[in-house]
Amino acid sequence: MPADTIALTEKARPQAAAAPGWRAQQDPPWVKWSLTIAALAVVGVIIVIPMVNVFVEAFADGAGAYWKNLFADPDTRHSIGLTLTVVPIALVANVVFGIAAAWAIARFAFPGRTFLIALIDLPFSVSPVVAGLMFVLIFGLQGYFGPFLRRDGYAVMPYVIASLGALASLVGYFLFRPRHPSARRGLWKLPAIAGAFGAAVVFGSLVLLQQVLHVWPENASLKVIFATPGLVLATAFVTFPFVARELIPVMEAIGPEEELAAISLGANGWQMFWHVTVPNVKWGLVYGVILCNARAMGEFGAVYVVSGHIAGQTDTMPLRIEKLFQEYNLPGAFAVASVLTLLAIVTLVIKSKLEDKVSPSTGVRR
Amino acid sequence: MSIVIKNVSKSFGDFKALRDVSLEVPEGSLLALLGPSGSGKTTLLRIIAGLEVADSGAVFHDGRDITHFTARDRKIGFVFQHYALFRHMTIAENIGYGLRVRGVAKSVRQAKVDELLKLIRLEGLGPRYPGQLSGGQRQRVALARALAAQPTVLLLDEPFGALDAKVRQELRSWLRRLHQEIHVTSVFVTHDQEEAFEVADQVVVMNHGRIEQAGSPAEVFEQPANAFVMDFLGNVNVFHGRVELGKAVVPGLEVAYPEYPHSEAKDAAVYVRPHELVIERHENGAGSIEARVLHVNPAGSRTRVELRAINSDQLMTAEITAERFAELDLKCGDTVHVSPRKVRVFVPQYSI
Repeated sequence: MPADTIALTEKARPQAAAAPGWRAQQDPPWVKWSLTIAALAVVGVIIVIPMVNVFVEAFADGAGAYWKNLFADPDTRHSIGLTLTVVPIALVANVVFGIAAAWAIARFAFPGRTFLIALIDLPFSVSPVVAGLMFVLIFGLQGYFGPFLRRDGYAVMPYVIASLGALASLVGYFLFRPRHPSARRGLWKLPAIAGAFGAAVVFGSLVLLQQVLHVWPENASLKVIFATPGLVLATAFVTFPFVARELIPVMEAIGPEEELAAISLGANGWQMFWHVTVPNVKWGLVYGVILCNARAMGEFGAVYVVSGHIAGQTDTMPLRIEKLFQEYNLPGAFAVASVLTLLAIVTLVIKSKLEDKVSPSTGVRR
Repeated sequence: MSIVIKNVSKSFGDFKALRDVSLEVPEGSLLALLGPSGSGKTTLLRIIAGLEVADSGAVFHDGRDITHFTARDRKIGFVFQHYALFRHMTIAENIGYGLRVRGVAKSVRQAKVDELLKLIRLEGLGPRYPGQLSGGQRQRVALARALAAQPTVLLLDEPFGALDAKVRQELRSWLRRLHQEIHVTSVFVTHDQEEAFEVADQVVVMNHGRIEQAGSPAEVFEQPANAFVMDFLGNVNVFHGRVELGKAVVPGLEVAYPEYPHSEAKDAAVYVRPHELVIERHENGAGSIEARVLHVNPAGSRTRVELRAINSDQLMTAEITAERFAELDLKCGDTVHVSPRKVRVFVPQYSI
């Protein structure tokens, strides 16, 4: 036995010396310290100093001037308001689409699933300027829908909304209809009559409601490009992946079993979604929304192309900063920039707080 | 008949999970679906529950065709393998969920939850979360949650699979007692034959998407329908030989096999369970195999003896009582005579 052991160690030694782990354990202190200092220096020069400088410049003339720079200029005021309008709308749209996309990808196997995953990431890889340009080509005056929407956009709106409502009611009817004939009662037995009649009633009442309430302006043209709808579209497009990307791994990790359990206990799809799915993905969703929000607030490229930067009309905060900077109004530019920076810091703090709640493996609250 | 399954088939892509399966589950019985992994037992259970849709065939519940009913409309309780408890709800909320979604008043719900907590012997744990419970406790909560809505059928997918041996043993006898108490028709899936035999009053053995045999545990164990069932239900010695003229012949042994009176010889296998092998020091006159003792393992009340036939090098395992072992005084290398007390002969089916 001892002879065997000795032979083994002697054989093993040269191998251990060549093992990749050996060098890492033997690194001298100067390597460790110089790497650490280099990293800190880079972070300091390209992140910390510029960021601190934003606040220094913004407050260069005192707090009074800072306040005036932010709120005395009506165009700056408007840009803050516009950002606070556009971003929530884009966020809501992305939450709805993000949940739908994540659900489809995490819960179903269908042809083109991998293609869909790739498509979701597309906004990350496409240059924001190109994204903006795409919308200009579709909705601009020279685009496919632009001229039509200008002329008749608001006039057709009630019918579009009413058709969507009718379609939704039809889908709902067939979705909630018991699958087996023996489980159907009353109107569930008459799909043609109930479906057609129901859809017609929904359509008519929606059109009427919109006209009575004067939801849409009359004698006005619907502008998408160089107007708020374009800003929302561009912002939503660029930030689309955040929510879905956050939710897909969380939903995949949790798996469908709890949802199936809810169904087998008698829950319908809606109850299952609100009682089981949403609480389970809650923190992942919040995390995605926060990242999405940070990106949406600061979006420049795509918004720059579709906005036409009309002061007091389509300038969001980043566009306003650029404009103030071009006008040599440095205190003004830095004042607005400080607000965006502050939002970014707040986002970062909330994000790191949330990371404690979202455990990496399951995305579940501990 | 509580649940009747007629000619159900199901494929996942190229994989045939179930091939034309028909099964009847008697009212009030506790039935085990037993089989190796990939035999289709879980798929069958999920089809009964409505969590999976059969490609063809029908499922009946109390005479009603429920093939196209959703899981929600079937009112069948389902206990998932990994419990699938709602992790963000307390134990009480978990158990009461089936009543909550059916719109049962809160006071009624509370009373039912308390009753079930008592039944699963977890009184006072209502306000805890699933993450704070042990595996065995979670399993019982999952069972209580499935029972809360008073299903007429209870389905359990590998109910004890994820538990350690001791807890599993406790839960088995607990489930047995619970079933005697509440008498709800139950079907559970397991790959552990010991578990199936201990808990169930009906055993269905499955393999490759087919039912190999169904019957009471004693029936299935004593009269296995084919070689697979025999092999799957515990250890077995296999002797390869042939059948001809009403006899099965293996090296050193001849057994009567009147089912095959033809003169044309056919390959066959003779199966003998270890406890059905008799070891003797001397030849007893009747057919016996001369063998050498390779290894003796006197564990507990039964002693396992490993042997090698001297003529054919066939390896065998015998199980004898501790008394018999003391009487024989076996040691490694001893030469003994082995004869089967009971044999089963299986002739492979013709396959074209």
